[in-house]
Parts: sequence; structure tokens; C-alpha cells
Amino acid sequence: MGAWPGSDSVQVRLRDIQSITDAALSRLEDHDFLAALLERTRSILQADTAAALLLDPVAGQLTATAAAGLEEEVRQGVRIPVGRGFAGRIAAERRPVILDHVDHTTVLNPILWAKGIHALLGVPLIAGGRVIGVMHVGSLTPREFSAEDVELLQLAADRAANAVQSITAREDKIAAAALQRSLLPAALPVRDGAQLAARYVPGEGTVGGDWYDVFNLPSGDLGIVIGDVTGSGLPAAVIMGRMRSALRAYALDSPEPVEVLSRLDAKMQHFEPGALATVSYAVVESALDRMHICLAGHYPPVIARPGEPAALAEIPPGLLIGAIAAAQRKQVTIELSPGTLVGFYTDGLVERRDQPIDERLARLCGAVTAGPPDAACAAVMAELVGGEVVRDDIAVVMFWRQPAETQ
Amino acid sequence: MSEDSYRIEWTASSAVIATPAEIDVTNSAQTRRALLAAVARHPAVLIIDMSETTFCDSTGVEAIVAAYRQAAAAGTQLRLVAPEIERILTLTGIGQVVPVHSTLAAAHAAAADGPR
Repeated sequence: MGAWPGSDSVQVRLRDIQSITDAALSRLEDHDFLAALLERTRSILQADTAAALLLDPVAGQLTATAAAGLEEEVRQGVRIPVGRGFAGRIAAERRPVILDHVDHTTVLNPILWAKGIHALLGVPLIAGGRVIGVMHVGSLTPREFSAEDVELLQLAADRAANAVQSITAREDKIAAAALQRSLLPAALPVRDGAQLAARYVPGEGTVGGDWYDVFNLPSGDLGIVIGDVTGSGLPAAVIMGRMRSALRAYALDSPEPVEVLSRLDAKMQHFEPGALATVSYAVVESALDRMHICLAGHYPPVIARPGEPAALAEIPPGLLIGAIAAAQRKQVTIELSPGTLVGFYTDGLVERRDQPIDERLARLCGAVTAGPPDAACAAVMAELVGGEVVRDDIAVVMFWRQPAETQ
Repeated sequence: MSEDSYRIEWTASSAVIATPAEIDVTNSAQTRRALLAAVARHPAVLIIDMSETTFCDSTGVEAIVAAYRQAAAAGTQLRLVAPEIERILTLTGIGQVVPVHSTLAAAHAAAADGPR
């Protein structure tokens, strides 16, 4: 056991690994911790190189992310397909692999054998039951890695995996929130004779895929979109951004909401297979007296006319975006008499597991009156959210056609 | 609960898979895997029994859509029993592509009559 003078020393080295990752985890801003951990791992294992490759699950590739003594891997952006070569095999088989003979037949990455590495030991990085990458150490001289070496490296890898996952989650959360903020309209269009107001509240701990969009069309019509991409965090926010852009583009091409949603559906199914979203798209005519609307799996808007109780608009449900090819949806036209308020919202406003949905929708209708939209937003948020910390995100858009005397 | 613990009852030509009381982001991935595993065994008829399910959010809908797409590709007739969550199935349009029944008996009877 040449490299290992005694079991006391193993305990000391275990503690070394634990101390560095605990310290790194306590410093939230420390993104260099992986490099520091690798340097420590290399020295504890008396190896010449150490490297970590992280898995891109979509591409099915491992990307060299951090290294000690093997920085070329990172600087050259080495990518290894899962299942191929040394690192690819570790990720695919989820178990340690030892190579005592490194050349082009056993290792895919030419940097490793060109550098003169003789022996390699690698283990999977596993967090939450999933492989998130591979960590390996190399020796420039012939070496037989021992069972203790495997155990120590796996221990370092387990701690690295948890830390990498929490750092990635934190970064994704920040990125998703920034993306969401950049995609919601900074200011709503201003129209004579109409007023608009909106609210967006992220769910507890994470943003989701809710978005709304309001835009003037070249015809003078006004487009009002509200939607919800299934899922949460960065993946949902990215899909949401793509849907928002695509819908805007199709809105320029066609005045019919049903046609716009149909094209959006085809685009999503082709380029984002597996993604699902609910969308409501309405076009208010430039005279503000009529609204054409089509639903794709989305709740119908609430409509409040002066002197009448508010009610959900009667619009035939249409299949959500991304479910099946060539889904047929119907578009309806709603007359907007002066003073009418139309309220659009996402499921986060009305769905609660402990309350019947019909009751929540009735409360929504009860809270809305035909009047200025900002007051309507405030009223529905007070009635349906109050002081609650919401789990799912909430978007609300209110459109009000002003009564003649206030115009 | 793991996908192995989703109760499935098999007969010669059909399978009935029961879903949990609530399906949301915390368990929808398991629901999805359980449904896809059931489809992968190629029953002529697969009935998703959601009689006990009182809450299903959009991630649960996603699991049903995934099962629907696989079933359609495999030639499996898919049916839903969903007395408590009819509204979300109507709202999302799922009810337009997958037959929804209020009881398991009604689903079996309709399955015996063949695809609608």
C-alpha cells in the first residue's frame, strides 16, 4: 500500500476533503471551488492531474469544466460523448473505471495520452440519483490505483456533485429570474380609449414559465397574450422566451388568433418537441369594440360589463400547445361595449389543491368589476392571494375599454 | 412513491393503472414514467384510473399527454377515468383527444365497444 502509510492517514485525508467542500459551500459566491477541490484531491491522492467533466444532458456530452494539472482540457473545451472513451464509459456505466494503460485505444481525449499520462482513475459525479458528470485523476508514472484510492476519489466526487448541483441550481435560478424580467413588457402600450394593467408574481423559490405580452399591431389592432409553459426554472423560462418571440412574429403575419396559435403549435412541436404550454391570444380591433380570441388549453378571461356581474367568457376550450399535430381550435369574437373590463390570468391565480377550482373561479368573478384595470388587478390579487406565499407563479393582465365620458 | 408502486391491474386485453391523490411537480415525473412503462407493455387498452386523483396540475397534464402520444404511436387505446379533475382535462383540451369517463365501469364498457 505504498502511497498509504496507514489508516490514520486515510482518516486525515477524508477530513481534508470534507473540510474543503464544507468551506466552499459556506461561501455562496465561490465559483472556483471545483478547481480548489480538484487541487486538493490531486494532492491527497498523490496524483499528477485531476479533472472534472460535467454532463450536458441534452447533448449527451461531458464537458471539461475544471482541472488541476490538466488545464488544457478546460481551455480547449474538451467534449466527450457519454458511452465513449474513458470518461464517457464512467458516465454511462455509473461506476469507477481504472485504466493502467492510456493510449488512443482506451482514451478518446488526445490531450490525456499526448501529455504522457500512464494511468487513470475516474468516478461518476452523482447528485440526486442522477449522473451529473465525471471526476478523474491521472498519473504520469505507472501506478496501480488501489481500492482506497477509488473510495477517496468517490468521496470527493460525491461532495463535489452536491456542491455543483447546488451552485448550478442557484445560478439557474438567478438566470431564470433575469430572463423572465427581460421578457415581460417593461411598459404596456398606451392607447386612447383603453387602459391596461398587469401583475407578475414568481412562485415560492423559483420562477416558472408564465408570461404575458401586450403589443400594438401595424393594423392598429392590439395583441394581448398570456401563457404558461409547463415546468419551472431556467428550462421553462427559455421555452417561454422562444414562444413569446414566435408568437409575436406570427402575429405580424396573421390577424386571426386561431391561425397564430396554430402556427405557434407547429413551430413548437418541430423545434421544442416535448414542451407543453397553455396560451390565450386575443386581438382587440383598433376601434376597441370587438375582441377576437382563441384559447390553447388556457383558462378563459373574466369579463365585467358595466352594471353586470363579471363572468368567465364562454370560449370553446382548445388543445394546449405542443400536445398533438394539427390540433383544431376555435376562435370567438366578443363584443366590448364601452366600460367593459377583460381580465386574463394564469393557473397560479386560481388553482389551489385544498380548494375547489369552481369556488376559486367564482371568487375571481366576484372580485372583478368593470372599472380601471389597476384597481381590478389589486382587487383580484387581494381576494385570491392576500398574504399567501404562492407555490406557482401568477400572471394577470387587465384590459379596460374606457366608458365614453372618461375618454 | 416510486413508479413501481403505481397499482396496475392486467387482464387479457387491458390494463388499468391507478394514479395518486395529487399529481404535481413533486411526483409527476414518476407518474409519467409509470404511465409510459405501462404503455410500453402494449396493452390493447390502457385505462388511466384517476378516480382517487383530486388535484392535477399542468405537470400532471404533461404526463398524460406523454402517455397519449406513446399510446397513439403504439396503437394502444387510451382512456381516462377522472371524475374529480374533469375541468382541467376539458380546459386543456385533453378531453377532446382522450375519452374521459366518470367511472371505471363506464371506461371498461366503452373499451369493449372499441375505439370511439
